[in-house]
Amino acid sequence: MGEINNNQAIDAGHQNRNRKDTLYCLFIMMILLISGTAIGFVFRTVEFPETNIVLVYLLAVLLTARMTHGYIFGFLACVIATGAFNFFFAEPYLAFSVEASNYIVTFVVMTITALITSTLTSYGKQKTIEANKREAETKALYSLTHRLSGAADMDDIASIAISTISDIMSTQAACLCFDEHGMPMSTFIQQVSSEKQIRRDYTDTPDIKCQIQKINTGYIKGVEFYDWPIYGSETILGIIRIPKERAETMNESQMRLLKTMIESIALAMDRYWSINHRIRTNEEIMRERYRGNLLRAISHDLRTPLSGIIGTAEMLMHMIQRNDTLYSLAEDIYKEALWLHSLVENILNLTRLQDGKLVISKDMEAVEEVVGSAVGHILRRYPEREIEVSVPDEFLMVPMDAKLIEQVLINLLENAVKHTLPEQEISVSVTEDKRNDCVVFTVADRGEGIDPVDLPNIFQMFYTSNLKHADSHYGIGLGLAICDAIIKAHGGSIVARNRTDGQGAMVIFKLPMEMNQNELL
Amino acid sequence: MSYYNEYILVVEDDIKIRNYICYSLQTEGFRYITASTGQGALKTLVSEPIDLLLLDLGLPDIDGMEIIKKIREWSEMPIIVVSARDQDKEKAAALDLGADDYLTKPFSSTELLARIRVALRHFYKQGGNKTPAIIQVGGLRIDFEKRLVYLDDKELHVTPLEYKLLSLFFKNVGKVLTTKYILKEIWGIDYSSDTQVLRALMAGLRRKIEKNPAKPRYIVTEVGVGYRLVDE
Repeated sequence: MGEINNNQAIDAGHQNRNRKDTLYCLFIMMILLISGTAIGFVFRTVEFPETNIVLVYLLAVLLTARMTHGYIFGFLACVIATGAFNFFFAEPYLAFSVEASNYIVTFVVMTITALITSTLTSYGKQKTIEANKREAETKALYSLTHRLSGAADMDDIASIAISTISDIMSTQAACLCFDEHGMPMSTFIQQVSSEKQIRRDYTDTPDIKCQIQKINTGYIKGVEFYDWPIYGSETILGIIRIPKERAETMNESQMRLLKTMIESIALAMDRYWSINHRIRTNEEIMRERYRGNLLRAISHDLRTPLSGIIGTAEMLMHMIQRNDTLYSLAEDIYKEALWLHSLVENILNLTRLQDGKLVISKDMEAVEEVVGSAVGHILRRYPEREIEVSVPDEFLMVPMDAKLIEQVLINLLENAVKHTLPEQEISVSVTEDKRNDCVVFTVADRGEGIDPVDLPNIFQMFYTSNLKHADSHYGIGLGLAICDAIIKAHGGSIVARNRTDGQGAMVIFKLPMEMNQNELL
Repeated sequence: MSYYNEYILVVEDDIKIRNYICYSLQTEGFRYITASTGQGALKTLVSEPIDLLLLDLGLPDIDGMEIIKKIREWSEMPIIVVSARDQDKEKAAALDLGADDYLTKPFSSTELLARIRVALRHFYKQGGNKTPAIIQVGGLRIDFEKRLVYLDDKELHVTPLEYKLLSLFFKNVGKVLTTKYILKEIWGIDYSSDTQVLRALMAGLRRKIEKNPAKPRYIVTEVGVGYRLVDE
């Protein structure tokens, strides 16, 4: 209700001002003409020629046109001045005469002069008003942008926006913000007086988003408000609500100003969301790092007791006769602990790799030595297994971090051992691919092969085939994930597939023969 | 029930691993004493007649390297270091400082005892100042007097450099030799930055003595550390 009264008051004020203005102009015109006439009488008394009196009247008309608004008073002054000259100073005195045609010329000249003058003055005045208005708009926009740049959050932005808009439009603007998913929030803020803002429940338009998509006028006509959407670079960030009564009386330039203001509000909101997004991303990175550290700390602490368990289990195995049932139990503990230990080592390496802390220090290494060492490691652990090894006769040196590539081979061979029966063949072969300037390592087995469903995910961390070995906890995931990470860090590639020459799986990885230019340093 | 007269000091801060090591030593008939800190170890070393030291590299108080350095100032006793898997650099450094061998956790008791025996044997050989004229490892035999190498009783043609390398291994059977040490022994200078020349020499030698150079029977590679002539 308050705003309606307010609007009426504004209108009443307008009319009042207009009337006063008119009276003021009339008054000015009368004074000038009376003064002109008085001077005319003085001139006649001292017997100046009539032309001088005409010039005085012309001056009065000119001043009238300059000091009043519009053309009307200038024209009126011109008519009155001509009449007055005719009446007071042209014979017969104190009577209108139409005989003297030379007065017609005077009259026409005076009229034209008055018209041109008032046109020029009005034009100049109009320009000044426009310039003032533009300056006010620029100021308003500047102050809006300035204040928005200091806003801390969305509510702050909304609050600044509505207080500025309300100020300029002399209304009670409101703002409804949308959340990060582009959905309207449940409340909106409205400026109710120059000092006070209130929060109101937003219930008017449940399907505001659909409506916004349909609009073509730039705003939505509502019951209480007209709503202007704030378009961000990607989504709609909110709406600016102008009370209906005020919105209906807005003129073209006010509309334009509002749009410009909404654009700078959109910029501020966009900036807020993008900063917010960046902070969130940083937080996520921190969380990820924290998780890695935790994983590493746990793995590190697990390692020592595991060594103890492995040792103790081995002690037990020594104390018990081989045919005793207890022996197989102790052996199980031993094997499981051994497996767990290698898992822990893998996790440690993986977290270090992902963290960038495990620095790959490439040296020229003999391929056969690394392969030999890895195979030796596996054969020591699984003495009953046979592993076929073939390397080129030619002595091959490849840049690599030998310890890590050994780890890759150990992981691959361990997988092969796990997924094959003791009599099934496992082989490691190395060939040189001269055309692509790389060395190709192949670890192949004659086991059951890899399920085609698993193939695409096999190098993902913690991926474990859930189709087969549902009862087994021997994840294949981590071992291969670390292989993938190590080979990629070497600038190589790794693939897994099933053999084409019969059953079995094979993992092939390639390492470049040449160091990169920046690695040579 | 002691089969050995050697007195072994076990320095390990983790009680379970210490127990495990002690148990393994006990079943083999070694006499031993334990310490859980570096300080305790140094104290025991001066007060007891220790023959061999088993040293964990990750002690809470003193860096294992410091202990090795201190001992090497006055004693040539065999030192075997025990380390976690990610301490490769430290392992190599410990060996270069004068440690005789290393074990990576988790290790089996068989491994532990084998390393101890090799270290002791090697130590006594040094004391007995004379290397036997002929040493046989598997099918590989070296005759130091005639400067000849035999593989499966057939004479093997080796270059002078290969002979030098081979004789170095035969003088240290079962012991790990760091790359740095080998380079120094063969070429006389500190070649440590250029290991490629040794790799190439080793590859040539392996092609002569091994059936499959990538599955060596005699000289195995300890990645990141060095080589070892296996005697089993």
